[in-house]
Amino acid sequence: MKKSNIKHYKISCQVNGNKFTGYIDPNLRLIDFLRDVLNLKGTKEGCGEGECGACMVLVNGVSVNSCLVMAFSVDGKSIITIEGVDDIKYGKSLKEGFKRKAAVQCGFCTPGFIISASELLEKNPDATEEDIKKALSGNICRCTGYKKIIEAVEWARKNDK
Amino acid sequence: MINEAVKYYSLNELWKNIKKLSPKRRYIAGGSDIVISHHYDDLNTDLLVDISDIKELNIVKETSDSVFIGAAVKISEFKKNNIIKRYIPALYECVDYYASPSVRNIATLGGNLVNSSPCADGVLALVASGARVVRNLYGKQKLSDIFDVIIGPKKTSLKKDELIEGFIVPKWEHRAVFLKMMPRKIFGISKAGLCVCANLKGNLFKDIRISASSVGPAVIDCKKTSRFLTDKDITNDIINKAKDIISCEISPIDDHRSTADYRREITAVFLQRAIEKFVV
Repeated sequence: MKKSNIKHYKISCQVNGNKFTGYIDPNLRLIDFLRDVLNLKGTKEGCGEGECGACMVLVNGVSVNSCLVMAFSVDGKSIITIEGVDDIKYGKSLKEGFKRKAAVQCGFCTPGFIISASELLEKNPDATEEDIKKALSGNICRCTGYKKIIEAVEWARKNDK
Repeated sequence: MINEAVKYYSLNELWKNIKKLSPKRRYIAGGSDIVISHHYDDLNTDLLVDISDIKELNIVKETSDSVFIGAAVKISEFKKNNIIKRYIPALYECVDYYASPSVRNIATLGGNLVNSSPCADGVLALVASGARVVRNLYGKQKLSDIFDVIIGPKKTSLKKDELIEGFIVPKWEHRAVFLKMMPRKIFGISKAGLCVCANLKGNLFKDIRISASSVGPAVIDCKKTSRFLTDKDITNDIINKAKDIISCEISPIDDHRSTADYRREITAVFLQRAIEKFVV
């Protein structure tokens, strides 16, 4: 058997408030690390090319496509996935809004939408419908037609406690 | 597949260590292009050198006559930075058209140049703003024209290990108009783009720089059109002549995104719209 030459990379980061320190394969993208190493399956892989937004997570508070980020590069950073949104501002109310407004059909894109929307509302609590459309422009949904998603974000904006 | 990754936080640290590492190496800043290539096993490299958090590449600073923008500053930062808003309005305007909000949080201006795409929105804004490139090889800086770096689609003149450290943009009194035609209203690759930076005194363009994207093998500095419009009284006749000149100055092709004819037409229409925005 051919011996692997791969030198694992030591990272320390926080994922949903939990500290991770360990050696990882330098080939892993952030989405692979979250799903396959940490078993956080809520983050989905759609296109794998940064077009669909299903893999969105927050890194140091800003949304990124986890399919476009190498896992080793998040060394020292803080990551929030859909599993951790209850602990960030607007997280719970966005989940509730998506349920109340029936903004979920197959659900594959929903984690990415909630992550994008949470970043928007955190930065702009007075976001208009136009602001919401712009903020969600990197997220694609093939089921709902977007109207209910926008209503869900508006509901969360108005009802966050 | 790569065998190793390293990450540096200062240029000193990078240049001190880089020669000890595998010679088959690639640099990664934002990664919005390179991670996709890696995923499809198309990188052909042993080592990735992460320069995204190198402090010298992440600053925006001004001097009395120019602004320096580090190559690894994220595109989304341009919208938040008052120096950029004040002195480089083309970059400020381009942010809303640049990919999606989350890609803007990843992508960098240096990567946009190194990727050398004909449709690079950031490069389009830099060219019209009169930016120059600061290259760095083993600690030695060199100032270059943007078109000394870009030598064709996806090709640059950068030597092995040579980095884009940043951009120096002159301060000059001007406004900017950034226009982009894409398949969707937002988040799309351009069929054609135009950026005009100009200083209008009365009805005369005193200084004007025009750049066009997706209408040639690289972003085009439309010098002939810019020269033609300088010091001209803006009339319908002058606008029509300028549209003819820019139509000849670009060299669009048919491809899966659009046709050469449409690109030529829309570039001329964009020029008219841009001039009208200045005059009104």
